[in-house]
Amino acid sequence: MSWQAVVALALLVAGGLLELIAVLGLCVMRDVYDRLHYVGVAGFGALLIGVAIVVRESFSLIGDKALLVGVILVITGPVLVQSTARSLLIRETGDWRSKVREHAES
Amino acid sequence: MNEWEIAAAVLGFALIPCGAIALLRDPPHGLAALELAGVLLTTILMLLAEGFHRQPFVDLAVVFAPLSLVGSLLYARLMERDL
Repeated sequence: MSWQAVVALALLVAGGLLELIAVLGLCVMRDVYDRLHYVGVAGFGALLIGVAIVVRESFSLIGDKALLVGVILVITGPVLVQSTARSLLIRETGDWRSKVREHAES
Repeated sequence: MNEWEIAAAVLGFALIPCGAIALLRDPPHGLAALELAGVLLTTILMLLAEGFHRQPFVDLAVVFAPLSLVGSLLYARLMERDL
C-alpha cells in the first residue's frame, strides 16, 4: 500500500467521521439554531474527502472537481447558516436585530 | 466494493435521520436537515465518482452544490413569512 493510499484513506475516514458527527449533532440537538451549526461542520468533511480524492488521483478531472466542490461547500456553509438563522429570527420575532439588541443589553 | 463505495453507502444511510427530521419536525428544523442533506448528497456524488471512476458523478456534484445552496436560501427566504 503506497503512502498516497494511506493518506487518502486517513483523509476519507476523517471526512466521513466529520459528516457523521454533523448528522449526529443534528439528531441530538433540540434547538434549531444549535442544529444549524452542524451544516458548516459537514462542509469541512466534504473538503477532507475532496483532498483525499486529490491525494489518490492527483490533479485529474475528478480530483480537481472534487476539490472545487469541497471548497464551494466550505465557503458557502457559513453563508447558508447565517442567512438561514437570520430568516428564522425574522420568522420568530419579525426583526432579526431584536435578539441581537437583547443580547447586547443583558 | 472499495472504500469509496463503502463510505458512500454509510453516508447514504446518514441521509435517513435527515429525512426523518424533515418529515416529522417543524419547518425550521426541516430546513436545517435539508441543508445538511444537501452537503451529504454532494459528498456521496463525489465518492461515487471516485469509487466507480465515472466523471459524470462529480459533474453532478459540481452542479448540485451551488443549486442546493440556492434552493436552501430560497426556502429560508420564503420561511421568513408564515406560508
